[in-house]
Amino acid sequence: METLGFLMDGFAVALTPYNLMFALFGAIVGTLIGCLPGLGPANGVAILIPLAFTLGLPPDTAMILLTSVYAGAMYGGRISSILLNIPGDEPAMMTCLDGYPMARKGRAADALAISAVASFTGGLIGTIGLIMLAPVLARFALTFGPAEYFALFLLAFATLGGITGKNPMKTVIAATLGIMISTVGIDISTGTQRYTFGVLELYEGIDFILAIVGLFAISELLFFVENRAGEGYRKINVGKLTLTFKELVSTIPTQLRGGVLGFIAGVLPGAGASLGSFISYTLEKQIVGRKGTFGEGDIRGVAAPEAGNNGASSGALVPMLTLGVPGSGTTAVLLAMLISLNITPGPLMFTQNADIVWGVIAALLIGNVLLLGLNIPLVGFFVRLLSIPPMYLLPIVTMVAFVGIYSISHSAFDLYFMVAFGVAGYFLRKLEIPLVPVILGLLLGPEMEKNLGHALILSDGDWSILWASPLAMGLWLVAGLGLVLPCLVGPLLRRRMNAAMKETPVSD
Amino acid sequence: MSGLGDRILGLGLLVLAVAYGWAAQQWPEPFGGAESVGPETFPTILSVVLVAGSLYLMVKPDPDAQWPLGKSALELVISLVVLVIYALLLEPLGFVIATTLAVGTLSWRMGALPARAFLTGLVSAVVVFVLFNYGLDLSLPAGLLEVS
Repeated sequence: METLGFLMDGFAVALTPYNLMFALFGAIVGTLIGCLPGLGPANGVAILIPLAFTLGLPPDTAMILLTSVYAGAMYGGRISSILLNIPGDEPAMMTCLDGYPMARKGRAADALAISAVASFTGGLIGTIGLIMLAPVLARFALTFGPAEYFALFLLAFATLGGITGKNPMKTVIAATLGIMISTVGIDISTGTQRYTFGVLELYEGIDFILAIVGLFAISELLFFVENRAGEGYRKINVGKLTLTFKELVSTIPTQLRGGVLGFIAGVLPGAGASLGSFISYTLEKQIVGRKGTFGEGDIRGVAAPEAGNNGASSGALVPMLTLGVPGSGTTAVLLAMLISLNITPGPLMFTQNADIVWGVIAALLIGNVLLLGLNIPLVGFFVRLLSIPPMYLLPIVTMVAFVGIYSISHSAFDLYFMVAFGVAGYFLRKLEIPLVPVILGLLLGPEMEKNLGHALILSDGDWSILWASPLAMGLWLVAGLGLVLPCLVGPLLRRRMNAAMKETPVSD
Repeated sequence: MSGLGDRILGLGLLVLAVAYGWAAQQWPEPFGGAESVGPETFPTILSVVLVAGSLYLMVKPDPDAQWPLGKSALELVISLVVLVIYALLLEPLGFVIATTLAVGTLSWRMGALPARAFLTGLVSAVVVFVLFNYGLDLSLPAGLLEVS
């Protein structure tokens, strides 16, 4: 099989000692990012981008580093869910339901072990799905013209809020703001200066890395300051591992189901890892039915959502790699890395930068193995880190963000700009305007404008070309649904998720 | 009135959208004559979308968020001032001193004991400085500590 050959080449890239070292480093850092309070995966990857950039890493190494961080963050998110009942990131929410009761029964070590294994299975299934689906989708995407791409970008924005999104209008506003920021600078096709106000630093446009780091990292600091959440948590005792091999085997079907469902949810626009883990958990509860003790510390209740969210995180890479359209915050940040490495994401990447794409995919597989190996023996180490109070941690993270941005350009102007973005991010989050569409707008804005221009040149100025082909029409339709559905289905789904979370108070 | 936050936001965005759209109409026609898509086409579409969005926000605002008042707001302002001063002093004072002060102040304000806070700042500053300048060959400003 052709794909297998590419995958082998990918392994050849990923298994070089240099890349392997960065994969290992990324996996450890990723787990830390996932489990430390106040450092979501998108946030963590964003802070690492400028560093990867200034280190002058070759593109394949940089991408391998960041994908390992991404995979690691999904592993790490479960640690605080299980031990503290506080999800490290949103998809880890469902793991609280059975993980925390298990920990209270003194089976924390078992819960951590089973979730590591389930994460591995989910990640593995997701990556296999990615390997099978991505080349097919990439080939199909080659038939897309500029009009289809324009519609596809709209679809990405429309579905970004997700089925569970609160107010689709706010997603639209956020995306528009992001695209507006991306229009600052000299217009590529005509050379017109747009919104530069004669400021030299604005001629090249606003660097999206700076915007991303500001929006995520600085606003996070401000949120912690406001909530005075600096104290941190008490120390937790993990206890001894009592998990039997039989128990582990008994969860295999659960893990497989969770992984597949999660992968599907990850690929679909607008679903994402949170829905992946939610569906896996609910379905498992239905299948096992009364025989299980869900909500009271059933190991299957830990395995299902973990397999689900790791499957989904690999699934979310499918649209990002093949279409250049990310479906989640973290994949959007990965896309930012690709763009700043001067790699045009999308179907052509599979032919032009095959070594990078397959290197990344192979790195995901290797990363999963590394993570499983790391997580079982090193869990005590990660748990100890969990008790670092945010009052020390967040200022240091902020400092690292400053260093990263400063080392790109050595200009203090960029730092002020980053702080300004942080303030903007704080206000937007306060007003419940989601930040991910802003970032996606920043990233996709130029591409969107370019495709609009190409489409209209092809049609000689006839706007109806944008929805002329059946494919484009279909994309518009799904985009429309993406905006309408949350209004209809969203409240229902949210109520069910809340009902499931009822007895376990979750701090955001 | 409930939903005041969203209404104010909507008003601000409306002003922004109109200004943004108006500015787009002022650009000179690009060299080589007008095409069907000029530099102003896309911004014009965006401004229309944002006008619609901001009007919707003003008509149907979401319930208000809890805004920080009094001491919390003051702490936020302090943090921001620290960040701006940090950016300002990074080059003149040098990385180690500026970072010690910034990280120390921030973690002190977040609730750490002053001595421990500034010690954290100093240690993290030295570690990052050494790591970047000697390990990774990226030069951070040495400032006052420069050994010439």
